[in-house]
Amino acid sequence: MTGLRLAAAENGKTAFGIGERMARSLEYLRFKAKSHNALHACETVSRIVSEQHKYRLFIEIFPKDWERSTKSLYRTGYFKAYSERTNEFFQLVNDKRFPLLEYWHDDPELELERFAIPPMNFDLCCEEVDFAHLRDSYLAGLMFYFLEDDEIWNYFFEKYGVEKESLPTINTAHPNIWKEKHGANAKPFSDLIRLVDHSTGNPWLDITNCQYPDLFEWDKETVDWLTEAYKAANQYFKNLEQLDRRIEEDAQTFFYELISFWNTGKVGPEGQS
Amino acid sequence: MQPDESPLELLRAESEQINPAIILADQLMRREATVLLTVEEVNETENILAIGTQEIEAIESHRKAFQKSPASAVDYVPVGF
Repeated sequence: MTGLRLAAAENGKTAFGIGERMARSLEYLRFKAKSHNALHACETVSRIVSEQHKYRLFIEIFPKDWERSTKSLYRTGYFKAYSERTNEFFQLVNDKRFPLLEYWHDDPELELERFAIPPMNFDLCCEEVDFAHLRDSYLAGLMFYFLEDDEIWNYFFEKYGVEKESLPTINTAHPNIWKEKHGANAKPFSDLIRLVDHSTGNPWLDITNCQYPDLFEWDKETVDWLTEAYKAANQYFKNLEQLDRRIEEDAQTFFYELISFWNTGKVGPEGQS
Repeated sequence: MQPDESPLELLRAESEQINPAIILADQLMRREATVLLTVEEVNETENILAIGTQEIEAIESHRKAFQKSPASAVDYVPVGF
């Protein structure tokens, strides 16, 4: 077997162009040169099954792109362990679903049998607080975690004239702030504190750079779940815009209500939840 | 390994076959990549992979057993000596 038969059209059909058929033959010959080696055969089988799994996902998730695709099924792509077609799938996930090809995954030698996602949230564990890049509402949430740090209060005093002394003392967090359900008044504060605390239940918001990354499997359920979680994570940040507006409108009342919620699990002196 | 069996006897007891992963790999390499494996085929492939891997490990253990075997005299002169 020379591999040349694979270069010819099969069953009277011309499924590929000559370039793709030659790529297929070369891939076969590379295998054939080592085909006496059982270990290499096992690796080849594993690789083909893995690639087939990605093709199936490609068809399930992006059927139109699969139909249109002209990427090679045999030539290797940027990630050398995979064909150009599988690389196209990774790119589509990155472009249409969620960030995949950045942060952890920039090494072409990498095998993406499982994958990590980049954290979207601010790290409390190892980052210096850089006020300039944070929303005011997020910064307001941080004040519960940097109690000894007057920088945050100085910032709010300079920008909005809010003084720490004019507000209730910050106590330990009331257990009710972690309740799953809150009324319309308390929910924005609950969401803010969960976001700052990395306790949202959303992997994009809860993971940090300081922990070993969670690895996700390539299956449709996981890809769909991460896609929805990514949208929800962006919505979390979008919601901060409303809190920012409330701070701009009346910072004193905002901080009063936020601290009240932290201390009592309720909003405001009337105890609205 | 049974204590009364030598590495040679153990090796002789092994079945004579080409590692099934080699045959499967050749079949898969000839297959059109666009014709996706069915669930049954994937399961079968995983079974064969397990058998193939097991065989590689068995051969490796035979090789190590031979390497540990002490030299022994024979009662004939091998051809060429």
